[in-house]
Amino acid sequence: MASISTRRLHKELSEIRTEGCPCGITLLNADNYETWFFSIEVLGESLYQGEVFKLMFRFDASYPISSPAVQFVVDQNSQAPVHPHVYSNGHICASILGTEWSPVLSVSAVCVTLQSMLASCKVKERPVDNDRYVRTAPDNPKKTRFQYDDDTV
Amino acid sequence: MKVHIKHWNAVAQWRWNTGNNDQDDEGDVCGICRVPYEGCCPSCKMPGDDCPLIWGECSHIFHMHCLLKWLGTTASKQQCPMDRRPWVTAERKVADIPNNLS
Repeated sequence: MASISTRRLHKELSEIRTEGCPCGITLLNADNYETWFFSIEVLGESLYQGEVFKLMFRFDASYPISSPAVQFVVDQNSQAPVHPHVYSNGHICASILGTEWSPVLSVSAVCVTLQSMLASCKVKERPVDNDRYVRTAPDNPKKTRFQYDDDTV
Repeated sequence: MKVHIKHWNAVAQWRWNTGNNDQDDEGDVCGICRVPYEGCCPSCKMPGDDCPLIWGECSHIFHMHCLLKWLGTTASKQQCPMDRRPWVTAERKVADIPNNLS
């Protein structure tokens, strides 16, 4: 099925394969146009030195008009970074994944934004409402209406 | 010397007039679908007048169909995808486009 998303993702994928990902980001798996996985680490000095995280992108047929569902993978081998905007189930509270999404953004652009979100972190702590959120969180983080009330991290 | 032309093929190239007249430039792409302006949006099969460009007053250009799809969502808040300013279509109307072919 050649939906809008397939064509656009095909272009992004060939760009990633020819030019590579941004520094610190590696494509792990993009076998289809629905779910992609990346590893992400912060290069240089940061609170996350030596830590590598796994990111999952899920696209629906109207990407890039609709935003991708992006979260950190939490399983036996990987954990979500401890960060004031990242819940322990991997969900991320970042405005560009929600109300500030724009169709000119791309998978690479999202990776770089999340990388800099980690790089600028000053205190490693979970969001204050982590336990409450994780207990009731939907499988898809796009179904959550996050409040973006902190511009400092 | 007399030359008899037995056969010839005409080849023409067209581009939307976007103000970018650099002939060697490979051409700009629509920021939404990443297809060149001269290609068509993912919903169309034929490039040309049926899949025109749209100009914003903010100077950003997209395939009209791509931009309308975006503006049709509530998530767009009617903003330009590039600069998030309220989208205002510039006075270069779709009807003028044939004259803009260069």
